[in-house]
Amino acid sequence: MTQATMDAESAGRPDADLKPDDLRAQVSALSRSNSEPDWLLAFRLASLEQALGMEWWTGQEESWRRTPRERLPRRARVGQVRGPADGSANGTAAIVPSHVFAPDAHAGLVQQYDGRLVASDLEEQAATEGVIIMPLSTAAREHPALIQEWLGAVGPPQDRYDAYGRALWTQGVFVYAPRGVVVNEPLFYLVTQDATAGDHWHYTLVVAERESQLSLIDGGDADDRRVELDETPLLHASVELIAEDGSNLRFASVQRWHRQTAAISTTRARVGRDASVHVTTAAFGADLDKQRIDLDFSQSGGYGEIRGLFVGDGNQHIEHITRQHHQGVGATSDLLIRGVLTDESQAVQYGLIRIEPEGQQTNAHQTMRNLLLDDGAGADPIPMLEIEADDVKCSHAAAVGPVDPDQLFYLQARGIPPSVAERMVVRGFLSEIADGVPDEHMRDVIDELVEIQLEPAGATT
Amino acid sequence: MPPPLFEIDKLQVAVEDKQIVNGLSLTLRPGEVHAIMGPNGSGKSTLANSLMGHPRYTITGGDIRLQGESVVEMPPDERARAGLFLAFQYPTDIPGVSMINFLRRAISARRGEEIPVREYRQLLNEVLGRLQMDEQFVRRYVNDGFSGGEKKRAEILQLGLLQPLVAVMDETDSGLDIDALRIVSEGINTFHSDDNAILLITHYQRILRYVQPDHVHVLIDGQIVESGDASLAERLERDGYEPFMERTKAEVLSS
Repeated sequence: MTQATMDAESAGRPDADLKPDDLRAQVSALSRSNSEPDWLLAFRLASLEQALGMEWWTGQEESWRRTPRERLPRRARVGQVRGPADGSANGTAAIVPSHVFAPDAHAGLVQQYDGRLVASDLEEQAATEGVIIMPLSTAAREHPALIQEWLGAVGPPQDRYDAYGRALWTQGVFVYAPRGVVVNEPLFYLVTQDATAGDHWHYTLVVAERESQLSLIDGGDADDRRVELDETPLLHASVELIAEDGSNLRFASVQRWHRQTAAISTTRARVGRDASVHVTTAAFGADLDKQRIDLDFSQSGGYGEIRGLFVGDGNQHIEHITRQHHQGVGATSDLLIRGVLTDESQAVQYGLIRIEPEGQQTNAHQTMRNLLLDDGAGADPIPMLEIEADDVKCSHAAAVGPVDPDQLFYLQARGIPPSVAERMVVRGFLSEIADGVPDEHMRDVIDELVEIQLEPAGATT
Repeated sequence: MPPPLFEIDKLQVAVEDKQIVNGLSLTLRPGEVHAIMGPNGSGKSTLANSLMGHPRYTITGGDIRLQGESVVEMPPDERARAGLFLAFQYPTDIPGVSMINFLRRAISARRGEEIPVREYRQLLNEVLGRLQMDEQFVRRYVNDGFSGGEKKRAEILQLGLLQPLVAVMDETDSGLDIDALRIVSEGINTFHSDDNAILLITHYQRILRYVQPDHVHVLIDGQIVESGDASLAERLERDGYEPFMERTKAEVLSS
C-alpha cells in the first residue's frame, strides 16, 4: 500500500476524493494484500464504481437535511491496517485490548485493532455445530460460498458512504449460525481504533440461518482518546443482518469513538418469515454520530425492534435515521430511542414507518424520547408514517423535555440531593434500553459509560 | 410540656401568585398526632407540599420550624435529612429506578452514612413483613405500575424505613379499601412514638378511626377555623364542612 503518499496527497483538502484510478488501484492492492478471492475484489470494485456514480448528498434528502454536513468529511481513503509486519509506531501499545469492553462469558470473539486481528476464539461446542465468527477477509477465503451468497444481500448501497464502505473496508467480521443452531452466550466483535491513524471503514456481516439463534455484541472504542487531532477522522460501519425464517438475531452495538471522529453507520436487517431481530445501539463518543438503521420485512410474520440509547455532551451531534419497512403480512416492528443531552449537544431522530400495500396486519410503533439537561441542548425527533395498507396498527410518539420536576421532588423529599436525584432519574430513563442488551457485562459497560458521559466536561477520560 | 417539635407559624403560601394558605399556625409536640381536615380546595395539598418545599409553592410569609430551626430556606432534601417526611397523595412513578436502590439511598441520606447491606436487608424485610408486602415488591420500579393501594403502602414503607421526626400524611387514606386502610393505619401506629409527631391531612374521618388524633383542626380557605379533640372529627362526619364554610363566609361579609 502507498498509504503515506495517499495521506500526503489528500491532506489540506479533506473533502477531495482520490482520483478514481488511484482509488481503483488502492482497492486492488488492499484486496491482494488480504489474499482475497477474485470475486471479492470484483465485489469491491463494483461497489467502488457505484460509489463513484453517486452524489454524497444534495442536502434536500430527509436523511441529510438536518445533519451538520460541514462536520462530515466527504472523502474516500483506504484506512491504515497496522499489521505486525508494518512496524508502525503504535503497533505494540495497540495490542492492549480496551478494558472497558473486555467480555466475561462469551461463545466467541473477534478483536481487532486498526484492522489487525488481536484475538479470536470460539467455544468448542459452537465450533462443532458450525458457528462461525472470524474476520471477514478470512471468512472470504475459508467460507467463500457463504460470503458470496450473503455479502450485500440486504440490497444495493444506500448512498455514497455505504457504497464506499463495501469497497474500502479494511476490517470486518463474519458471524454465522447454521440452521437450527442456538448459540446461548453472546458473540463479541471488539474494535479498537487509533484515531490518529485516520479514516476507517468497517464491514459486519451476520447471518442467522433458519431457526437459529445468536447474539452479537459490537464494541467500538478509540485508543488515545485524549490526543488532539489535526483533522476529523471518518469512520464508517456497514452492518448487514440476515435473519432467515424463524431465526432470532440480536445485535447490540456500543461505541465510544474519539471525540473528534465523524462516525456514520449503516445497519440493515432483513427479517425473514417469523424471524426476530433486535438491534440495540448505544452511542457515547464521536463528534458527530449518524446512525442509519433499517428493518426490512418482506416476509410474513416476523418481529423487529430498534433500541437506541445515547448520552450527548459538549457539542456532539447524534442522529438516528431509521426505517421500518413492511412489505410482508402481519409483521411487527417497534422502535424506541432514548437520549440524554447535556451542554450544547444536539440530537435528531428521523424515523420512517413505511407500509407497502401488501403489508396488511402490520403492527408498527415508534417512540422517541429526549431528555434535555441543559439549556443549550436540543433535540428534534421526527416520526413519519407512510402507510399504503388499510388494515394496520401504527403508533408514534416523540418527546423532548427536561427531567420531570415531580420526579426530582419525590426523590429530594426522601433526602436525596438534587444532583444525585437527577442522575438517578436519567439512568432510570436509559435503563429500559440498556436492560435489553443481551449480556450482563455489556449492560454494566453501558452503565459505566453513561456515568462517565454525565460527568461534567473535563472530568471525562 | 415538652418543647415543640414542629411549628407552623402564620404560614402563607402562594401558587402562581394566588394565595392559598393564609396565615396558618399549628404546633406539634413530640408524641402528638394532629389531623387537619378540610373540604376540597381548602388548601390541604398546598399545605402538605409547601411544608416539604415543593418548588411550585412559594412561601410568602410566616415560618416553618423543625426542632426550633427554620426550614423555610432549606431545599426539600435538606428538610428530609433533618427529619421531615411527606407521604404523598399521588406518589410519582420513576421508571427505571428500582425501589430497592432508591430506598437504600434514601435511608443512607437520612442517616448521613451508607447503611450496610446486611442491616438494610434485615430492616427492609422487617418493615415489608409488617405491611404484609411481598419481598419482590422492592424489585419493581418506584411507584411504576403500582395500584393505588400499593402506592400508599410504599409510602408507609418509606415512613417505617426513614424514621422521620415529623410525618406529614397527605390524604393517605384516599383510594384505599378497608383492608388496606387497616394495614396502612397499623403501619402509621407502629411508627408513632413519644419522640415523633404525625400530621394527618385528610378529607374524611375514616382513617381517624384507626389512627387516634390528639388534636383535630378544620381547614377552610387556607386557615384553621376551629380546633378541638377527636370529637371534632365526629362532628364533621355528622354535620359536614358546611357549617364551618358558612361561618367563614359570614365572617368575610361582616368584615
